[in-house]
Amino acid sequence: MASEFQITISQQQGRVPVTVFHIEGDVIDVNSYEQLEAQARTAFEAGARNLLLDMTKVKYISSAGLRALHAIFVMLRADTPSESDETMKKGLMDGSFKSPHLKLLNPSPAVLETLRVMGFDMFLEVHRNLKDAIASF
Amino acid sequence: MQTSYLLHITAELKNLNQIRNFVETSATALGFELDVIPNVQLAVDEVATNVMLHGYRGQGGTLEIEIERVGGDLIVRLRDEAAPFDPTTVPAPNLTLPLANRPIGGLGVYLVRRAMDQVYHRVTSTGGNELTLVKHGAGEKK
Repeated sequence: MASEFQITISQQQGRVPVTVFHIEGDVIDVNSYEQLEAQARTAFEAGARNLLLDMTKVKYISSAGLRALHAIFVMLRADTPSESDETMKKGLMDGSFKSPHLKLLNPSPAVLETLRVMGFDMFLEVHRNLKDAIASF
Repeated sequence: MQTSYLLHITAELKNLNQIRNFVETSATALGFELDVIPNVQLAVDEVATNVMLHGYRGQGGTLEIEIERVGGDLIVRLRDEAAPFDPTTVPAPNLTLPLANRPIGGLGVYLVRRAMDQVYHRVTSTGGNELTLVKHGAGEKK
């Protein structure tokens, strides 16, 4: 049986408030991606602007999960007029752009490989421990 | 010694977990390394999901998954009775486009191609699809 998908949320404080989604479910797939997106949207509407996804327990992520990550990335950008599309495009091309608002904690090698194959490592920072992750925002 | 495993299942989203478990159990029993199994699970998940959502349009239908070892290769065959659709003809997504401008879709098929070494499609004698996924020399447990 798959572990049931649910997200435990904690609020952390670094230089800025950071909302952490501890994902309790071993896959982010077509059956769980909507829940991830919905909870991110709820947090955003409640004022969250910096989101760390704790992927420690996630064994793998399918294309549906990647679409959720992309949607969350786009949503968190909507409120930041100072980060223009041009700046992002240039940064993506030269490898200097990483989302300042959406980051990942401890993805497994399999998840990291999927992210890398689809180019998501180009715009998402990965951290190995919570303290460093919070401090990076 | 068993060299192939077969699963008959209804193509419904709620069965994806069972399908993934089948891949893990079969591949392990066939002596493949645990590090390649997530890639194979991912590919099978993507194909099965597409059969469910696009092939059968959410109405369900039969899905047969065969996992076989031939020499050092892991071969997965997925067979359905949906209308013929060749995913190998789906163009690769343009990953250089700014994210906001990338069209949605095509990611799943691309992932399958990246996760596996070869992907073949053919129309079966009953007018359905058979998709063959091959992983070469997937690190063997000695």
